[in-house]
Amino acid sequence: MGRYLKLYLWFWTQRLKVLLEYPASTLVGVAAQVLSPAMGVLTIWVVVRQVPDLRGWSYDEVLLIYGLLTFSLGLSFIFGQNIWFLGQNYIRTGGLDHLLVRPINPLFQLVVEYYGYGGMDAALVGAVVTVKAILALGILWSPLKVLALLLSILSGSAIFMAFFLIPSVSGFWIMDSAISVTSVFYLTHQFAKYPLNIYPRAVLMMLTWLLPYAFASYYPASYLLGKEAGGLVWAGPFVAAALLFLGYRFWLFGLRHYTSTGS
Amino acid sequence: MPIIQVENISKVFRISQKDPGLGGAIKALFRPRYQDKVAVDGINFTVEPGEVVGYIGVNGAGKSTTIKMLTGILVPSGGQIRVLGRDPHRQRVPNARDIGVVFGQRSQLWWDLALIESLNLIAKIYDVEPARYKQLLDQFTETLELKELLHVPIRNMSLGQKMRAELVATLIHEPKIVYLDEPTIGLDLIVKERIREFIKQQNRESGTTVILTTHDLGDIEELCPRVMIIDAGKLIYDGPLGTIKDRFGKFREITFDTAGSLDPFEPPTGTQVVTQEPRKLVLRFDRTVTTASQLASTVMSRVQVADFSLAEPDLSSIVKQIYGGALQKEVSQ
Amino acid sequence: MIQALRRTATAYGVFAALILKRIMAYPLGFWVQFFTQFIVMAVTVYFWRGVYLGQETLGSLNLRQTLTYIMLAQLVMPLLQVSLIVHFGSWLRDGQLAIELLRPVDFQVQNFAQQQVGSWILLLQQLPLLVVAWRLFGLELPADPKVWMAFTISLLSGQAILLFFDWIFACLAFYTTDAFGFYLARTAIAGFFGGVLVPLAMMPGWLQAVAYSIPFAQAISVPVSLLSGITPLSDLPRIWLVQGLWLIGLAGLSRLIFRFALRTVTFQGG
Repeated sequence: MGRYLKLYLWFWTQRLKVLLEYPASTLVGVAAQVLSPAMGVLTIWVVVRQVPDLRGWSYDEVLLIYGLLTFSLGLSFIFGQNIWFLGQNYIRTGGLDHLLVRPINPLFQLVVEYYGYGGMDAALVGAVVTVKAILALGILWSPLKVLALLLSILSGSAIFMAFFLIPSVSGFWIMDSAISVTSVFYLTHQFAKYPLNIYPRAVLMMLTWLLPYAFASYYPASYLLGKEAGGLVWAGPFVAAALLFLGYRFWLFGLRHYTSTGS
Repeated sequence: MPIIQVENISKVFRISQKDPGLGGAIKALFRPRYQDKVAVDGINFTVEPGEVVGYIGVNGAGKSTTIKMLTGILVPSGGQIRVLGRDPHRQRVPNARDIGVVFGQRSQLWWDLALIESLNLIAKIYDVEPARYKQLLDQFTETLELKELLHVPIRNMSLGQKMRAELVATLIHEPKIVYLDEPTIGLDLIVKERIREFIKQQNRESGTTVILTTHDLGDIEELCPRVMIIDAGKLIYDGPLGTIKDRFGKFREITFDTAGSLDPFEPPTGTQVVTQEPRKLVLRFDRTVTTASQLASTVMSRVQVADFSLAEPDLSSIVKQIYGGALQKEVSQ
Repeated sequence: MIQALRRTATAYGVFAALILKRIMAYPLGFWVQFFTQFIVMAVTVYFWRGVYLGQETLGSLNLRQTLTYIMLAQLVMPLLQVSLIVHFGSWLRDGQLAIELLRPVDFQVQNFAQQQVGSWILLLQQLPLLVVAWRLFGLELPADPKVWMAFTISLLSGQAILLFFDWIFACLAFYTTDAFGFYLARTAIAGFFGGVLVPLAMMPGWLQAVAYSIPFAQAISVPVSLLSGITPLSDLPRIWLVQGLWLIGLAGLSRLIFRFALRTVTFQGG
């Protein structure tokens, strides 16, 4: 276990070195991509500021939800973006064979080999927006609330990554098309950008029990603000753990198929 | 004590059969049909430590499938493999520590990292002792002339540079067995020579066992005292390279473009008619008995020839000969 | 009895397989694109309904007007994303454009025609989304053919304006290696300042001024406002004037900058 931790740090050091080597194009890429979530924030600023509230959620409260989701999303891309490319870069090309011939866990290698620059923009915007909202909201902090916030960020990112992994495993069978399948799972997170009570109940249920992105934004925000649904925030880590476990089992299943039928 | 033991292994792939068109797609949905493709069919061999074995066969003969089973990437349908006493699939991690693999044109190195960074990572992954790592690194980069390339990312390297880098990456953790799948493909002669020399040196000095699959007979001639030939999933030859060279290396084929058709052609002594068609005549001759120019002039004196070409013995023709029982025929002569 | 059931089940099974095959006949990318837009539309529709809970109007628009506008803007949005920025760099480098030095206008017209073909194909692909918007979210389309005419003409001029604008930017973007980064930035800005994310009328005055100073508003907000009935037909003279000015201004500017860029490239021996 400790060995994997050391290896992880080593991979990351290399990644950061590469980042520092090409600052110019990295900066342009990041700057360009910051604009996308930034426009989302601008939209909220223009609209929600003008109304008393969005179904009981004030402007800053809406920002808190948006910020938390964007931050978790950013983190998940930074740490797990490479998972998306299993079908395209590893199965179709046979690159997985190289991973299988090394004495460390192939899934670990897949996740850690390449870093997700694309996540930095979202993480940045998410962090800024969340901090801004928290400062403006005057939340009554307690150790429990701090814990809930940290756990939610971690489990939120974990849930995103679980939904990178689960559909990407289909890459063992459908290779390049797996990216499309993964997109479908990923895209539904957009509901969780806003307070879930603006949607019909069915959507709320779906985002809690089927594609639980709500644990990355709605439930932690509810808890911090002392709103009704807040109690569910503590289920977040368990949901994340369950999904990751499911994802891992599915990965093993896909791997078994790969080693028995080649590609 | 053999380092690799392969007992009666086979690999059967189930390929789904689908009729074309809408009707076929629906049928396939309700009643899927499969066809079995036998890629490897009952192969047996052992390899002793320190051997350098060439493993050749035409494309689709089952080479890659065998290598994948040996390296633990593919599970055999039947039979047993023991590498260093382990099942390479069931004991993937311990086996992985002792082997190195080069997969032809796919690099194991990270395309955007400088070579030295990739090598450092690999050293970490395989737990190479730092002092030993430095020693080997200096040695290898010296021999393969990679010193200037250490800070170049793989994506900026030429094919020859990439392959040299690949070899260092594969051998830096001092594996006991190295599987090289088409290591010289697409490279020019000078680079090939350097690589072959490097492999020979490794085998000589460290006793690394080498399994080499290749289409390049030059690789075989330089490196492999022992050759295994696989065709249609079966091992049809396992023995010294010398035997093959003696028996088949001496044959050449010469193709004549003839003007108009011929009566059945009586080949000169020591030659054989391989093909006779209206505009084409292919003769096989033993170059220790006659020369190409002698044969050409003899033929041209008897037949009107528009053009002719000389073919070097290629792998598929040798394999054809062997599979056609030519080896047995030769031995009995 | 059992046999009859089995026959029915088989019949349904065959039918389901037929539909599945039909669905699979369309490339996966098409369905992903559709799903992406469907999710975005669903989220925004509920968002706006929630916003309007507390009030009748926002930025002088009521809920019905806003929803109509937003949905139409989302339907037309893919047209905005057709841009030559990504290809421009390679064209310039290949010297293809240098050949056209003598007749830059012709090349621009050629490009416009090509883009139009691509655009109308894209619009056709929006049909499933249109059906969803209409049946599921209650989109109302105008009946007046004059409105449709006005929409189409202003859309076409808006696209021409964008072409010249992209042309200018492409000449500038050429100097950096990351044309794709520019493209992403452009898409994000176009979405907001073109009035797809928020109707421009809702923005504070100074932000509206910024939006109208960028040509994206001419390509999306102006035509869609006409189609959704927010802008009455009586405003058409003003609209044509403004679009006309944009067209002439950008056309001239683009030719100027293009000539300058070409000179630089050929001077460098590109």
